[in-house]
Amino acid sequence: MKTCIACGMPMKKESDFAMGDTSKEYCIYCAKEDGSMQSFEEKKQSLLNFTIKTQGLDKAIAEKAVENMMRQLPAWKGFF
Amino acid sequence: MKTKRQIQKEATRKLILDTAYRVYAEEGFSATTNQIAKAANVSHGTIFVHFPTVENLLICLLERFGSEINKHLHLLSEKDESLETFLAAHIDVLIRYEDFYKKLISDINSLPQDAKFVFINIQSVVSLHLSQVIEREKEKKEIKEIPMHIIFNSWLGLIHYYLTNSYLFSAESVLTEHKDELILNYIKLLENERN
Ligand SMILES: [Zn+2]
Repeated sequence: MKTCIACGMPMKKESDFAMGDTSKEYCIYCAKEDGSMQSFEEKKQSLLNFTIKTQGLDKAIAEKAVENMMRQLPAWKGFF
Repeated sequence: MKTKRQIQKEATRKLILDTAYRVYAEEGFSATTNQIAKAANVSHGTIFVHFPTVENLLICLLERFGSEINKHLHLLSEKDESLETFLAAHIDVLIRYEDFYKKLISDINSLPQDAKFVFINIQSVVSLHLSQVIEREKEKKEIKEIPMHIIFNSWLGLIHYYLTNSYLFSAESVLTEHKDELILNYIKLLENERN
């Protein structure tokens, strides 16, 4: 099974992939409206907002957790 | 193609991770690399050939655990799954790793910072699924106006309480025994009474 290079989500169904295109390496949540992949800053911000909203984490902690997670992902290797 | 030596190396690495998983599940995270080496039947030095530090071993183990949870939850999740189905899937995944997870949540405060971050990210996968399910559920039913993080933390708090205090509730698998009761009543807490 493929996993999204930008967020690590497993991609199984067509609907998991950006634009439903199974040849894409990133998922529907990491795609912009035009189908291209979000930038590092965009993705970081959206993961950060999401983590705070759904888990109520302190902002500084959430920021470190998000960076820690992004560091492992192939799409963001060059940013650390 | 992989050489015989690479295959051997990967097998040993997997053996160490599998054994560490078992030892931590039984003894908690204060277990030493000596204990792990002994249980895996490898020399103490072998562990450090594969993992430069104890912390690195722990991180690799937690990441592997996280990706298992991630995979299972994703496979179980369907586009139109109900809240009940999702909560059952979450509990089912945890039942598979119950002893390990129990030790993990009991010991998390004493684990290194990087391990805590991996733990947060494991929970992010759960909160992602839950928030999607709640959004969908809101279209069908009356869900109370409660911030998403309180909805998520209440669920986690509930199952973590049962797990860390399992001696109060069960002699066997506390999640198996209380699964239906917890799900049913948690949903009741979220839903508005229908008139
Ligand atoms: Zn993604």
